[in-house]
Amino acid sequence: VSDVARPAGDYAGITREIVDISLDYPNRRAWWICFAGALLLLLSFFISVAVLFWYGVGVWGNNIPVGWGLAISNYIWFLGIGHAGTLISAMLLLLNQHWRNSLNRFAEAMTLFAVVCAGLYPIVHLGRPWLFYWIAPYPNTMTIWPQFKSPLTWDFFAVLTYLTVSILFWYIGIVPDLASARDHARKRRYQVFFGLTALGWRGSARHWARWRQSYRLTAAIAVPLVVSVHSEVSLLFAAGPIPGWTSTVFPPYFVLGAAFSGFAVVSMIAVVLRHALGLRDLVTERHLDLLAKFLLATGLMTAYGYWAEIFDTLYSGEPQDFGTMLDRLGGFYALSYWGAVIANFVPIQLLWWRRMRVGPLPLFLISLSVTIGMWFERYMLLASTLYRDYLVSSWREYQPSFWDWSLYAGMLGVFFTLFLLFVRFLPVISSFEIKEALFEEKGERHA
Amino acid sequence: MDRDRPDPPSRFNRRSLLQAMAASLALAGAGGKRADADERALPYVNAPEFVVPGKARWYATSVGFAGYAHPALGKTYVGRPVKLEGNAEHPATRGATDAFLQAALLGLYDPERSQAPRHLRESATWSALDTAIAERRAVVESRQGEGFRLLTGAVTSPTLIRQIDALLQRWPKAQWHVWEPFDDEPRLLATERILGRRLQPHFRLDRADLVVSLDDDFLGPGPRQAVQAHLWAERRMAFQAGQGAARLLVAEPSLSATGTMAENRLICSPLAIPRLAHGIAHALDVVSDRPPGLTDRESQWIEHVAAALRRHNGRAVLTAGAQHAADVQALALLVNEKIGSFGATLIFTDPIVAVPPADRHDVGALAEDMAAGGVSTLVVLDGNPAYATPTTLGFAEAMEKVEFRLHGGLYLDETARRCHWHAPLQHDLESWSDGRAVDGTAAIIQPLVRPFYDVRSIHVVLDRWLGGTGSDHDIVRATWSAAWKDDFADKWQDAVVHGFVPESAFPPVAATVAERNMASAVRPNAQGLVVELRPDASIWDGRFAQNAWLQETPRPISKVTWGNVILVSPQLARAHGIESGEEVRVEAGGRTIVGPAWFAPGQEADTVTVTSGYGRERAGLLTQQFGYDAFSFWDADLRMPAVGATIARTGNRLTIASTQPYQAMDGFDFVRSVELPETAVKKKEEKESFYPERQWDSPSWGMSIDVDLCIGCNACHVACVAENNVPMVGKELVSEGREMHWLRIDHYHEGDPAEPKSYFQPVPCMHCEQAPCEMGCPVNATVHSHDGLNVQVYNRCVGTRTCSAYCPYKVRRFNWFEYTGSDPDSIRAMRNPEVTVRSRGVMEKCTYCVQRISAARIAAKIAGRPIADGEVVTACQQACPTQAIVFGDVVDPNTAVSRRKAGSRDYSLLEEANTRPRTTYLARIEKGERK
Repeated sequence: VSDVARPAGDYAGITREIVDISLDYPNRRAWWICFAGALLLLLSFFISVAVLFWYGVGVWGNNIPVGWGLAISNYIWFLGIGHAGTLISAMLLLLNQHWRNSLNRFAEAMTLFAVVCAGLYPIVHLGRPWLFYWIAPYPNTMTIWPQFKSPLTWDFFAVLTYLTVSILFWYIGIVPDLASARDHARKRRYQVFFGLTALGWRGSARHWARWRQSYRLTAAIAVPLVVSVHSEVSLLFAAGPIPGWTSTVFPPYFVLGAAFSGFAVVSMIAVVLRHALGLRDLVTERHLDLLAKFLLATGLMTAYGYWAEIFDTLYSGEPQDFGTMLDRLGGFYALSYWGAVIANFVPIQLLWWRRMRVGPLPLFLISLSVTIGMWFERYMLLASTLYRDYLVSSWREYQPSFWDWSLYAGMLGVFFTLFLLFVRFLPVISSFEIKEALFEEKGERHA
Repeated sequence: MDRDRPDPPSRFNRRSLLQAMAASLALAGAGGKRADADERALPYVNAPEFVVPGKARWYATSVGFAGYAHPALGKTYVGRPVKLEGNAEHPATRGATDAFLQAALLGLYDPERSQAPRHLRESATWSALDTAIAERRAVVESRQGEGFRLLTGAVTSPTLIRQIDALLQRWPKAQWHVWEPFDDEPRLLATERILGRRLQPHFRLDRADLVVSLDDDFLGPGPRQAVQAHLWAERRMAFQAGQGAARLLVAEPSLSATGTMAENRLICSPLAIPRLAHGIAHALDVVSDRPPGLTDRESQWIEHVAAALRRHNGRAVLTAGAQHAADVQALALLVNEKIGSFGATLIFTDPIVAVPPADRHDVGALAEDMAAGGVSTLVVLDGNPAYATPTTLGFAEAMEKVEFRLHGGLYLDETARRCHWHAPLQHDLESWSDGRAVDGTAAIIQPLVRPFYDVRSIHVVLDRWLGGTGSDHDIVRATWSAAWKDDFADKWQDAVVHGFVPESAFPPVAATVAERNMASAVRPNAQGLVVELRPDASIWDGRFAQNAWLQETPRPISKVTWGNVILVSPQLARAHGIESGEEVRVEAGGRTIVGPAWFAPGQEADTVTVTSGYGRERAGLLTQQFGYDAFSFWDADLRMPAVGATIARTGNRLTIASTQPYQAMDGFDFVRSVELPETAVKKKEEKESFYPERQWDSPSWGMSIDVDLCIGCNACHVACVAENNVPMVGKELVSEGREMHWLRIDHYHEGDPAEPKSYFQPVPCMHCEQAPCEMGCPVNATVHSHDGLNVQVYNRCVGTRTCSAYCPYKVRRFNWFEYTGSDPDSIRAMRNPEVTVRSRGVMEKCTYCVQRISAARIAAKIAGRPIADGEVVTACQQACPTQAIVFGDVVDPNTAVSRRKAGSRDYSLLEEANTRPRTTYLARIEKGERK
């Protein structure tokens, strides 16, 4: 038996275990409670956006100098979280790491929904959101292109590309399992739903050959995106001539931070799903252990970024940069700086111990701490830089308003709603890939 | 709208303050149309000659402030005034303006102005008021004016003086009182005593190599600011060019514009000013006795000052703030005589402001008489004594004893509400009148537009008391036709066209000292705190409280808007644990002021400065709910500082809408200084740029701002608001950092907060050649123009705010809400049609007045010539009384701006950001004299 997944029964058992979740959901009461909560948050999203669109961006706390606020820091946070899915799925797929098969589906779904949330933020944050498409290069009567020097233009491309590739990769990957669900479905509406979404998959050898080509190809496209998208996003800050932003360490620093926060969220989801859906045999301690190791590794790399930034500041001796550093350590937003440092880097030290890595509850709590810590980091990088830039005369504090927070809650609502629907109706784990891995391992053993 | 119920303090409702204003303005809009409904108005069947839509016409006129006529040119489009500028031909102001003049335009269009007569607070008609006046006139006539009192503000208008004279002649027992809370009276009293004749002193600062100011903020706000600042700048510029000296030594308790520009500033209590004057007089052998109680520091300063005064004999002047008593002024006069100022740096003319014939003509006497029942008819014209008098006078209560009370004014203010009748007066920009500038030059005030509302000129209202029925036009003409007789037609035409009567300034009077014996003016030091009252730099004594442009203009030093603060020294704050913005209670002699404390670096340790104009009853939407009432704190004499005061925290925190919460420049070089004009300023090396250098064709625009000349007066700031349709956002949004001003004037202090150096620095858009904003914008909404401007394309802007995030100078302003869409008709009518009105969600900023550049370019193209240097004058540049701002083509090396930029003092703000700004600065000069 595989040392990665330890399925209870045979191949058919695996299929049943996963597909039955969609067809006959095990713990409906708990799901409905969660879903009701998510819908409440979603309501907050719609109200917040309505208020925002009706009155203008002024309902938020943004001001001059802090013209960007929670919306942009949340955008970066959500997008960062979205990075783990692709990293786990595509990169590990290409590296033939079979253990990913128990994690990739929900990690990809998480990515997709996080990117949706991230993508909504820059649009709603615009002064005139109804004109957001002007950032796109499309033939128009004004004969104006976007401004290609702007990091925002590339941001737009990056997020759009990432979203497209994430959808494709996730959907291509789920098609065989949708077909399994179709074949197992007894109720007519499930048969129709899965029948349509399975795109006529019959499992023929030619299907598999084509599928493998396209899946691997999409993975190959997706892998560089992991690096490029958040590098691009970091330019949103790094391209501005503002002390505290204009630093070449930002692209790797952002990518590593993104992977770090993404692994944290995947770990949390893994812990919750294996508990709630009884998937302990598919998502094993070994998986948790591997996730925890990744978390620790990316966390240490992110910590290096913090250190590099401080070293940079001290080494360059630029007084403005030095001022920004002091503002971070002891200024108005010191809480967010120390919050980030402590929540990100202190609890993960527990992961040096195996007991902590394989224990669901410790891993969940540590991951939660990292998720919060990375939120602090995004907020700190934005607010502590803008509130005191060059001229003392333009210094001013910024505080998010009620509508900033309500939109954030609402955006979490968007995420949870989509994710709960995914958990309820789609195969959360890639059954065919687990079976395939199992088969290959057995085969290897026979040989 | 329910006028008596305050808005609930929720976020939306509070912010909708201006929207609420808009709502009431909408009602007023109907009234605004009345301007067109004039009986002589003609439909545009045949277009009237000379009125070309889209083409501006200029009219010369004046706007009154504290009695003086401030000359202005009014720019009108199809009969709508949209901008006031200085009149460069005027012999006194030479084009200089101040914030009050720039903001007068909004005063004209203010829909909250009183729009129809009122009787017992109910709407009434002019015919009813005329009848009431006629009836009352009969009563007054029968008593030969007994019990009839007229109260006005300061008056220089020859027509008004003629009318009042006629009234007093007709009713010998009637009395005229004058009340101006902040005036020059002690100075005139001193001339009476010392020179034997009541004279108005004028400081010829353009001739003064050395000015010693004893708490005289002659560069600060007031009716003389523009003229004095202009004269001072003339001397300063001559010094910069190598001629003579321009020294300024100041002793003052609270940092002022004058103190900011001083090379040496002694921080002292207001109570020390008399002994300093006395000490200087003693050091120059003007008086024999040495004043008691001088500290070592004061003695040293006196020696320093006396030596300097001696050395600059004949080219120096000593001034003492007009709030200081006649004794101090008298000492100053004697010192000035001693150092040869008379006729050189200090000249005298007959008083410009008319003085009522009766001895007891002040407001205190009137209040006494009213309280004693000696007044049966009270006519208050253009003043608000029920608010703007010390509460201890009991003016408002005493008024109740008067049988017939009539108030004429622009607003339904505290006095109007306590009168039987209220007559709404015309704004200066819509009426015929006249007046004198601070040098005495007479001006005919002509209307730029027909009155918007059902209002009358002050002359017409007074004429009704004389039984006349003339129009303001007739009454003013009558004055001048009597003076000019046969030449009337020509001279009138000339005066109206040019905005002033040539050669009408009062001639200098040779003054000689008649009395040298002086009683000692020295006041003993007081225990406890000293509280001094100063006029508010934006709303003065409350008369401009309704003007949103002025309300939202940051006070020059504190940068506070929409309310007054209690200025405390850092030492005092530390001693009492007071934080800036915290509510404190100041008590003295049983009276209290409760208001927000505000750190004032450079404030004398134990002096608390309060300002007037706030804490009003509700007289308009913008007057109420802000600040504390300082008048209630004072005994009869507003000039006398209150002594023995205490300060205590109340524990409340208040919202202070400051546009610049941080002012300490320590460690930075935003404002740079050089020792002498020739000294080269320290510059940082220019770094390599990532982008290719562009070659610029002439003309390519740039600006140079001399921080050695900027007195922080805000004239440019308000001019920019008027020119560019900059919206006002209200107190709440300013406190959140969302003011929309395109041009801000930063104020910095440096060094020990107890004794800091202090600087002003106007910051418009830098129009960087390597602009980070242009790189950041994803939609090409901010781009560089062919002539070097960094332009903002409003209709392309989607509002990402990247440009602002990347702007090292943070000069960009974002329309967080829809600020302009709900503007009422009357405010829309005021807008400059040459400038786009911005909608919600777009970024805006200084354009270098691109509309003026375009106008000049079009005119030059039509004429087939290049744009001449000085042809494009930005609004801020035009408004500046000290010519601190110069604008022009930076490619042509012979333009004024290029010559300035080639100078040794030229530097760029934040060179380290490598933005290559087109707006550059000239460094401050520390010394006023070459050794």
